[in-house]
Amino acid sequence: MTKDEEDLLVEQVASAYRPKTLDELRYHSAWHDLDAAGRERAFDLARALRPLEAALDEDGLSTTARAVLSKVVSGRTD
Amino acid sequence: MTDLDVHLAAIVAGDTQGFARWLAGAERPVRDSLRSFAAAVDVEAVLQESLLRVWQVAPRFVPDGRPNGLLRLGVRIARNLAVSEVRRTRATPVAASDLEATLSAEPDAPDPLLRTAIAYCRDQLPPKPRQAFDSRLASAGGQDDVELAEALGMKLNTFLQNFTRARQLLVDCLKRKGIAL
Repeated sequence: MTKDEEDLLVEQVASAYRPKTLDELRYHSAWHDLDAAGRERAFDLARALRPLEAALDEDGLSTTARAVLSKVVSGRTD
Repeated sequence: MTDLDVHLAAIVAGDTQGFARWLAGAERPVRDSLRSFAAAVDVEAVLQESLLRVWQVAPRFVPDGRPNGLLRLGVRIARNLAVSEVRRTRATPVAASDLEATLSAEPDAPDPLLRTAIAYCRDQLPPKPRQAFDSRLASAGGQDDVELAEALGMKLNTFLQNFTRARQLLVDCLKRKGIAL
């Protein structure tokens, strides 16, 4: 895998999107394609992104918080 | 120190807005508590599931009198779930982070100046990077990047490159304003 390819995988894993599920954890498919260093980069990138997102949200919520609230409101799945 | 338990009564009463206010402060400490698991589990998936479980068990939560009791519970739920994931996937065990050290970091408080600066910098983004950035925000974790890219008429790689560029431009703009993230 080239550095550019890994960068794009890291960018995807750092998003708040995770497949919806009834009763188990669903990993981002791109997470499985990353090595340990890439996964840690994705963690750090998500950690840096969320305050930016929260600052642009009228309620101060990141996309992670919005995703959780969406599951709460919809009863976990749509 | 910010005590997020001020939102506990609302959460127990089933008020999702109260839970949202708790989430705004609790997300970062719970995420940070999972740092040592980052190479072994998908932290974002574990984090979201843990925060959801906090909502589900909150009505049965009994405070111990110390601040941020529900946050402590959230950190424990997240750690236990991460450990279960490590066992399930037979990943290499990781050293657990220190619970008290994690909780010693205060929950984030909104910073109006930071909000203004970030909004200014977002408004300076070129059209395509801004489209990618805004679509991620608007989807709020509800759609994957493939769907977002299609909706914008971009290939996935183009979408991701635009998002990366938006992020880097935002960081550069904030640096010029003396804000380091």
